[in-house]
Amino acid sequence: MTTIAEKRAAPDSGRRATRPRPRWLKLPSFALAIPAWAWLFAFFVAPVALVVWFSFGYKPGIFGTHANDVLSFDRYAEALSPTFFSTFQNTLWVGVVGTLICLAISIPFAYWLAFKAPVARRGILLAMVMIPFWTNFLVRTIGWQIILAPGGVLSEAMQSIGLLNEPLEILYTRTAVLIGVVYNYLPLMILPMFVAFDRVSLPMREASKDLGAGRWSTFMNVTLPLAKPGIVVGILLVYIPLMGDYITATVLGGAKGNMAGQMVANQFQTAQNWALGSAMAVVLVLTILTTVAIAALVAWLAAWPLRRSQRLVLGDKS
Amino acid sequence: MTISAKNTSHAAPAAGESPAIAPSASEPEGSVVLEGVTKKFGGATAVDNISLHVRPGEFLSLLGPSGCGKTTTLRMLAGFEEPTSGSIRISGQDVVGIPPHKRNVNTVFQAYALFPHMSVAENVAYGLRQKGTPKSEIRERVTESLDLVQMRSFADRKPTQLSGGQQQRIALARALINRPAVLLLDEPLGALDRQLREEMQIELKLLQSRLGITFIFVTHDQGEALSMSDRIAIMRSGRVEQLDDADSIYDNPASAYVAGFIGQQNFIPGTMTSNLSVMESPFGPIRAAAPHDDLGDGVEAQAAVRPEAVAVAAAAASDSSAATRENQIAGSVIGVSHQGETLQFLVSIGNDQTLLSRVPRPNAPRLVVGDSVLCTWDAASVRLFPSEQATQAQADIARALTNPAPPTSSISL
Repeated sequence: MTTIAEKRAAPDSGRRATRPRPRWLKLPSFALAIPAWAWLFAFFVAPVALVVWFSFGYKPGIFGTHANDVLSFDRYAEALSPTFFSTFQNTLWVGVVGTLICLAISIPFAYWLAFKAPVARRGILLAMVMIPFWTNFLVRTIGWQIILAPGGVLSEAMQSIGLLNEPLEILYTRTAVLIGVVYNYLPLMILPMFVAFDRVSLPMREASKDLGAGRWSTFMNVTLPLAKPGIVVGILLVYIPLMGDYITATVLGGAKGNMAGQMVANQFQTAQNWALGSAMAVVLVLTILTTVAIAALVAWLAAWPLRRSQRLVLGDKS
Repeated sequence: MTISAKNTSHAAPAAGESPAIAPSASEPEGSVVLEGVTKKFGGATAVDNISLHVRPGEFLSLLGPSGCGKTTTLRMLAGFEEPTSGSIRISGQDVVGIPPHKRNVNTVFQAYALFPHMSVAENVAYGLRQKGTPKSEIRERVTESLDLVQMRSFADRKPTQLSGGQQQRIALARALINRPAVLLLDEPLGALDRQLREEMQIELKLLQSRLGITFIFVTHDQGEALSMSDRIAIMRSGRVEQLDDADSIYDNPASAYVAGFIGQQNFIPGTMTSNLSVMESPFGPIRAAAPHDDLGDGVEAQAAVRPEAVAVAAAAASDSSAATRENQIAGSVIGVSHQGETLQFLVSIGNDQTLLSRVPRPNAPRLVVGDSVLCTWDAASVRLFPSEQATQAQADIARALTNPAPPTSSISL
């Protein structure tokens, strides 16, 4: 392999030596990233900076949306007032519980798909995970409205088998939102996790069993640590958009299942109070960052005993 | 074809026949016994009714082309596959149905399978940690095990920072730390370059004789098998074709397949005569040291002669006496090639048939392409095989050569 590569490289480098590229054509390598940086600056950094700036202002009158001639933290105080604070609590509950439910479903499913499912059927199984994604997010969510409605499919079915004596009152509650977000975001967790498990090669797991580790020990010591990056990606991919989701909450949550994303959208669109909407958006972003940081810390501390028992440093004595 | 440099002396007739191993009632620590083991994957039979007795402390190679069932056999010993039928005993204990982590065997994997998220020392310690060994003892034994493979100074590195040969040693240290009764090695040298592979062969053999552990070594490389093994099991289509030491396999192949697979052979077709040691070929009579049990008068046969047993000498263009003498064929040189310490002559003997002769260089005659020569050999170096068996064997070997084992160069980390 290397010999072929060397042979191929040799005439190429020779040509480069005889006819060097003009100096003005040579750009520093970071030039490759300029389009991405420009895009991110124009459509991420600048808007976020504007939102932060607006959040310190106020709504100047019925027809104004924002003013920044007087700066204060008043909008934050307003955003955290009991009326709105309960919505943040609600959002955090749906976000954390929804992510945990996704995790509880995804880990066994991705594990089964990567290690136990027949290899020939994997493509079909993965497609079945993906197919709901081909339908519009809103349409899928409205579909759940039909299922969860008091006169809907689920309610009828549960009544007919005798689980319920009266129509199911679940639509427009927090539970309905939870069901909706788990359904909507589950594939985003399964896919990276499947890739992560799939990359833990069979010989690696066999080596662990060969050396005396049972199934559980192999999973904890080899499979899980090697699949960790994919699991982390899956969690972030679900938790972050889930916290900001407002379609699911609007369609399935009603007044009782309100979420922060919906609240922010209301301030911008209905109430025309950009200052308060901005402050709420900043609080939401800070909530997400803080909870992710706390989760990372908890996970790190939980794995501490395992790392300690595994650690073995001999020191270079030779 | 790889040509083994081992044992170029003239074949001794059936003298070195190893005694048959009687399965004893008491199978000591380190013995491995397979009885009537068959493994089927769906409709395909990977291993077909194998019976094998491995002595404790023995270095046994399973040698054969890809798809011959050698790796499946090894995986059944490790516990990664269960036999469809038959029994497997390790150190006298029946292991069928026992999961890999409860067997007193360890494996060195083809691509090493070192854990990338652990340091070298942690990799080696893994087996002890699973047993709940106290930490002070782990430290001591890991150090000892790394010393064994001269990798002590690499203890705190990550496997990804090591070369292929170094990873190989770590895989060996990791597999040996639990002091298994049997060590299984699955083409462990396949991913190394030639020079390193030869060094590791010597080290492996030394390590094995020092530790006295039974080694079962899977390979498709006959040079590797011949240089290290106490005994070799030649496998073909899920069966053991011959189980013997290197000398016996080389000199007294049990079948035409073994004869052609190990080293090189000249196959000459003919018909058996009433003297059951003599075959009449279009090139003259060929005498073997001993008759073949299945070959009667008038049966189609093939005679096998090793290139190093064939002597060549310049001859007059029309030597009519050649055709009448036994083990003597006239022909003309169509190729001469240097092989380092030997010269190799390709001689055309008519009927689209060629003979290969290999002569040590100092004694080699000065011959050029076009010279008329006389090829002669000893009856002791001739083996007779039934024609059909020999034809099938040559076809199988040719197929194995054109479809070599899948490349093992990738090391997944």
